Amino acid sequence: MSEALAPACAAQRTVTILANEPVAKDTYKITLDDPMLASQITPGQFVMVRAGLGNDPLLGRPFALFDVVRDSTGTPVAVELVYLVLGRGTAELSRKRAGEPLPIWGPLGNGFSGPPVDGGDVGFVAGGIGFTPFLALGKWWRGTASYGAQGQHTGSLVSLARLYYGARSANLFAGLNDFAHAGLDVRTATDDGSLGHHGFVTDLLKADLQAGWRPSKLVGCGPAPMLKVLAGIAHQYQIPCDLSLENHMACGFGACFSCVTPIREPDGTTDLKRVCVEGPVFDSRCVVF
Amino acid sequence: MNVDLSVRLGRLTLNNPVLVASGTFGYVREMTRFLDVSRLGGVIPKTVTAQPRAGNPTPRTVETASGLLNAIGLDNDGIDHFLQHHLPYLRTLGTPIIANIAGENEDQFVSMAAQLAAETGLAAVELNVSCPNVSHGLDMGIDPTAVERLVGRVREACPYPIIAKLTPNVTDIVTIARAAASGGADAVSLVNTFRGMAIDWRKRRPILANDVGGLSGPAIKPLALRMVWEVARALPKCPIIGIGGIWTADDAMEFLVAGASAIQVGTATFADPGASARLLDSLPEKIASLGAGSVREIVGTLRSNRG
Repeated sequence: MSEALAPACAAQRTVTILANEPVAKDTYKITLDDPMLASQITPGQFVMVRAGLGNDPLLGRPFALFDVVRDSTGTPVAVELVYLVLGRGTAELSRKRAGEPLPIWGPLGNGFSGPPVDGGDVGFVAGGIGFTPFLALGKWWRGTASYGAQGQHTGSLVSLARLYYGARSANLFAGLNDFAHAGLDVRTATDDGSLGHHGFVTDLLKADLQAGWRPSKLVGCGPAPMLKVLAGIAHQYQIPCDLSLENHMACGFGACFSCVTPIREPDGTTDLKRVCVEGPVFDSRCVVF
Repeated sequence: MNVDLSVRLGRLTLNNPVLVASGTFGYVREMTRFLDVSRLGGVIPKTVTAQPRAGNPTPRTVETASGLLNAIGLDNDGIDHFLQHHLPYLRTLGTPIIANIAGENEDQFVSMAAQLAAETGLAAVELNVSCPNVSHGLDMGIDPTAVERLVGRVREACPYPIIAKLTPNVTDIVTIARAAASGGADAVSLVNTFRGMAIDWRKRRPILANDVGGLSGPAIKPLALRMVWEVARALPKCPIIGIGGIWTADDAMEFLVAGASAIQVGTATFADPGASARLLDSLPEKIASLGAGSVREIVGTLRSNRG
């Protein structure tokens, strides 16, 4: 089926870079002067950014909303994205300076839905650069910020948002101060033991659940092996869980059919869905690993 | 600026020469966020096949130097779904619709063309005899006898203007274009993607799940221009639709003077969703800069440096 589309407010613009600064090893935060996008985008949605006006690198790169910048009156004025330098496109982007123009299109994708109906605690599980959606999501669900046309959300606020954040090594962690400032309870894990738990980030979640903690919702973003373990944990403890997928994309708006992933339908059959327009957020029970 | 942008491709007349290439514009509904599609000369939705196809595993695309390598594998829900679900919507757009079909063999092409013949609201049918990413269908596009017979049979089965979209992965594109014209094609689309590959040498693996794919984007423009020019010189009466790395009005002008009567914007749409509309905005001024008052006056006006 092909009904899924980019959000009605999605648009293409050339915006001005306000800042583009390193925040961790190979990791940058870029701030874009775009009051329109800032007033529309919601946690879990993404923006396609092309690293310049030429044709090499050719395609845009998808980056999740990190946060919206507001002026002194609370009006959204700019959008922050955080990205990891992985290839030519992101390397080129990291060399851009404040004042330079940048072609973008967005907001794209379906963001996260509102907080769990009954409030309670929630657990976020992030692997590597997959941490980026959780600052805005945490603020939204804790009721300290609103995004897009949602205004003040109608669900109950969550009482505790705990972020399990894993990375290969301590120098890759970004935004820890932002998360603490936003009131998230952060637990870290590293592959090399240089910060927090020495091992998988999902070990930390498992231990808390074994100790009797019962969040009303889990949300994950990160590498597929981590998401697969998280989906298994969610299933075992019967906790609703959403996963934000990061499949390779060419266009971001449903035209190229690059980012398809197998999704289980309610009738038990499996269908290839475009992550850009039908996701990137999916119920963990539907994701086929 | 009063420039006549209308063009004729055999029995097909378009208000302007700016089309969008199949497989790069979704089923058009995906694009309405980014441009007014009714302004375009026409739109060509993603290829449909006789039966639904899941397409290839991922990764299906990889970016290369100023290019995109793809092996989507004609992921689509089949022609019945297209007719029931997409065509009614496409008819409402107020722009000419050119359906693009691919059969695994001649009979499948003909039966799909007959299905389209029973539908209203199409401007033309483009035959994808050139997708490099499926195991069947490719061979037809490299055999002039098969192309001529296929186009002839499709014309008998379907009253709409017929466009043959040709593969550049042949020794002599003129032979294939001539065969399509002899079969009765109203125009030929030149060109589909070039077979290529991208490699991760550390893993000693191709990057695409399909190992090889089709190259498109700015990287192929010089290759496509050469083919358009060769066909235009050899077959001056055969209308050509130029495709290959077209992003701006300057790119389009190069194809028009080389001999294309119309152009398709393809991969540029992925990198710049509104590219086709902006190209159209700039085209009249480029044409006027040559002292011409219409597209038709400049088509095929390239002069060789070799006399």
